Amino acid sequence: MPFATKRTTTKTTTRTAADGTVTTTIETTTASTPKPFDITLYLAGTPNGKKASIALEELSQAYGITYNVRSIDFSKVEQKEEWFLKINPNGRIPAIVDHARGDFAVFESGAILLYLAEHYDPEGVLLSKDADERSTAVQWVMWQMGGLGPMQGQAGHFNGAAEKIPYAINRYTDETKRLYSVMERAFSDGREYLAGNKYSIADISSFTWTAYHQFSLGKDFTLEEYPLVNKWLHKIAQRNAVVAGMNVPTKITLLENDFKA
Amino acid sequence: MAPQITLYTVGTPNGQKVSIALDELKIDHKVHQIQFSTNEQKEEWFLKINPNGRIPAIVDHSRGDFAVFESGAILLYLAEHHDPDHILLPEDPNQKSEAIQWLMWQMGGLGPMQGQANHFFRYAPEKIPYGIKRYQDETKRLYSVMERRFADGRDFLAGPYSVADIACFTWTAVNQWALGPDFSISDYPLVEKWLHRVAERPAVVSGMKPSTIIQDGFRSKITAAEAEARAQEAAKWILAEKEKNAEEKL
Repeated sequence: MPFATKRTTTKTTTRTAADGTVTTTIETTTASTPKPFDITLYLAGTPNGKKASIALEELSQAYGITYNVRSIDFSKVEQKEEWFLKINPNGRIPAIVDHARGDFAVFESGAILLYLAEHYDPEGVLLSKDADERSTAVQWVMWQMGGLGPMQGQAGHFNGAAEKIPYAINRYTDETKRLYSVMERAFSDGREYLAGNKYSIADISSFTWTAYHQFSLGKDFTLEEYPLVNKWLHKIAQRNAVVAGMNVPTKITLLENDFKA
Repeated sequence: MAPQITLYTVGTPNGQKVSIALDELKIDHKVHQIQFSTNEQKEEWFLKINPNGRIPAIVDHSRGDFAVFESGAILLYLAEHHDPDHILLPEDPNQKSEAIQWLMWQMGGLGPMQGQANHFFRYAPEKIPYGIKRYQDETKRLYSVMERRFADGRDFLAGPYSVADIACFTWTAVNQWALGPDFSISDYPLVEKWLHRVAERPAVVSGMKPSTIIQDGFRSKITAAEAEARAQEAAKWILAEKEKNAEEKL
């Protein structure tokens, strides 16, 4: 574990009282902090890419660690260049290279989430240390990896295609809506987060896709029929790390526009 | 001793992954065949086990009836709790991560995309060339990714045999269902070699039963007419489930 250096932080606040007295307070705290870790994140501004940037931002907020961003240019088909295929043989984003662990490469957003939780998350910010809570979170990550991502992705493809094929549009729109209703049903037992009462990678992985619902399903589609999902979406969007992560590699206005396309 | 685990399944690639894994671990388990024809997977009692209403799912009686849904999650769960000899997942952290990376690749890619090829090629009530081509091309691209992976001489996808091989095997085995009788996996010779290598394992043979795809050399031996009849039969409940989902907003 990269937990070595002690870090001393000094916070200075100056307050002026009503009678004009100025008081300066200096707070010094010393904490054990992981040394900045050296991970490069390869991504583009897509739901899968942002799962990784959000997770890295959560680790950054919790443990003060840093990462580098290398944006992949789809217009140049960079993701299929030899150097990148060495990192991700599937030629897709996201991928990370962990320079602190011998330039170990990880591809597939779901695998990146599990890898970060395993190596860089001693306090279980991303994933509970309890076995059953952890399995529940992994189940929902797999549900997103095998369902919500691919199916909403196909909906986006057919909705955006030049030639409109109603059968395909309906198939993937219906399935995406079914998946949203599965989440709606899950929240009906009062749980705050997808995997129970603790935020986890299960929320991160379904959040980014749900956030882009209008991009995939059209400007007329809203989460009106899924009020608990909508509530959860807004709650997750309040997190500093989520705001920061959604704005990687470039700033977007999705959250400010209340998820409207 | 009562079975430790109940497996809710059907003999499809995702279900077979778990049957193989349970047999690799020699876990005594009870099999409950879910009846798709009556939409059993959407009944309340089953939705408590799998809120997504799909197979496979397991209930682990040795751990307080803990339920696990999603085949990928089941494989990782079994590796964590029931695999002291590390048959399913290597101990080395990097090899373990590689196995998980290829498992995720299968869960997010090979399964869903070959599944869409199945749908457009076999089950959709109308033949839509764009859909057939899109998903058949992507399935072949994914096979070529595996072919490239094996070019460095490795025997399995991620170090030693692992859940990555199990997950990719059950889908690659039925390549002709998605790609048609004129498709030959021999176009991907290293993938073909790997298919046979994995199929040498007794747990893979037993886990794939009653499918005869291994014995048939990963080629469909049925006639076009019989394939069509099977597709029509499956299409009935696939489209019925879709309608029921729409009715019940489930």
